[in-house]
Amino acid sequence: MKRNYYILIGLFILFLSGNVYSQDLDALLNAQIKPTVNYATASFKASRIINGHSIEQMKKKQLDFRISHRFGTLNDGAYGLYGMDRSVIHFSLEYGLTDWLMLGVGRGSLNKIYDSFAKFKLLRQSSGEKTMPVSVSYLTSIEVNSMKFDTTRIQLTPTTFAPRVNYFSSRLTYVNQLLIARKFNDNFSFQLSPTFIHRNLTKTELDKNDIFAMGFGARYKLSKRLSLNAEYFYTLNPNAKVMETRYYNSASVGIDIETGGHVFQIMLTNSQGMREGTFIPQTTDSWLKGGIHLGFNISRVFAFNQ
Amino acid sequence: MKKQLIILAILIMSVSAFGQDKFIAKNAYISFYSSTPLEDILGESNEAVTILDATKGEVVFQALMTTFHFKRALMEEHFNENYMESSKFPKAKFKGMIEGFNKDMLKAPVANIKITGQLNVHGVEKTITVPGTIGMEAGKLVATAKFKVTPEEYGIVIPSLVRDKIGKEMEITVKDNYVPFGQ
Repeated sequence: MKRNYYILIGLFILFLSGNVYSQDLDALLNAQIKPTVNYATASFKASRIINGHSIEQMKKKQLDFRISHRFGTLNDGAYGLYGMDRSVIHFSLEYGLTDWLMLGVGRGSLNKIYDSFAKFKLLRQSSGEKTMPVSVSYLTSIEVNSMKFDTTRIQLTPTTFAPRVNYFSSRLTYVNQLLIARKFNDNFSFQLSPTFIHRNLTKTELDKNDIFAMGFGARYKLSKRLSLNAEYFYTLNPNAKVMETRYYNSASVGIDIETGGHVFQIMLTNSQGMREGTFIPQTTDSWLKGGIHLGFNISRVFAFNQ
Repeated sequence: MKKQLIILAILIMSVSAFGQDKFIAKNAYISFYSSTPLEDILGESNEAVTILDATKGEVVFQALMTTFHFKRALMEEHFNENYMESSKFPKAKFKGMIEGFNKDMLKAPVANIKITGQLNVHGVEKTITVPGTIGMEAGKLVATAKFKVTPEEYGIVIPSLVRDKIGKEMEITVKDNYVPFGQ
């Protein structure tokens, strides 16, 4: 009897140890998995929130072909088909040289702008093994206004003129922007974009050469392929009102629709320009007066890696 | 007293025997592939971890979804963001038994086997039986498996807009070289 008892206990322990062992196989496996760094990805669906740059950029050997339109203002009324009659366009090609550096060139019909930019990834938001609360990128860009100079002479008195020398450098605008973003959860991301813009030549003496602005951008995912975006650029030292031209802060709302290799962005904005040097210091339409432009960006990504 | 000692001895022996019969592969290869006239999709990971228990023929696998890489960066982003929801379901797991297992299979040349177990992907667990191979190849213990799954089985919704670009079935390929555990 006693012997059976021992055998029973023995079997029980064996059975138990076998059981413990099979749980151990999972535990053993878990112990082999190295702790990983989880980088926040896809804080925004595209490289632009609406007009301004987002923290996102092309990965290595990926090319983004972007076509953007901004129509006239809704208050053009029925005569101008609510802005449809006057649209401006911007094309750009943007390429990921490495995972942390994207280069882009573009051409816009507003002010006949040629532009080029470089976007550097400085920090990546992460959790897990390494923790970083925000992603940070630096954007630098040069815009060339290729409009003909409006004058070749300077008026000295009402009747006397002197020839004016127009320099190429007068066409240039420099943009420096820090992009600081946090993906709070799967749906909500927020970005701050402190911006410094220098214009070599301004339209009038009253316009400022150096512009400081703070951008605020956010997106909220409505579904996996649809997100609601908003963007606002607050200019800290806005241009003074020059005659009838008043300058406003740029404010935009839009939605992103993602379809595989394409992202469609449809927006309402008071800015017709699509580059920082235009929409931050030179937005002349007001939401409150119906100066709202309908617009869209289309992004198509091509992969060139083997 | 004697009996107790014997039982103890058996127990110790059995435990130590377990210790010698485990094999591990830390850089196991897992891929999934779908082909349609519009687009081929290939995601590959070389960072899956698997352990084989040679006493029972039990295998366990684990792969982090973020270790799968694609040619197109956007595919990778969509894979994690839209389909696998990797922040919610970071791992794919498999735990199964090799059917009709005996230890000699590990020393013999590569032969066909069947493995039955639970595959856990996207938070959905299904019992599957998959064909595979195991055995010695060029002095290494090699195991492979190739099988098909459908995204819908694992609660992965594919919108009609991209339905034509993503195959109805995904072909999963697994390949690993086992080495004795602890070496």
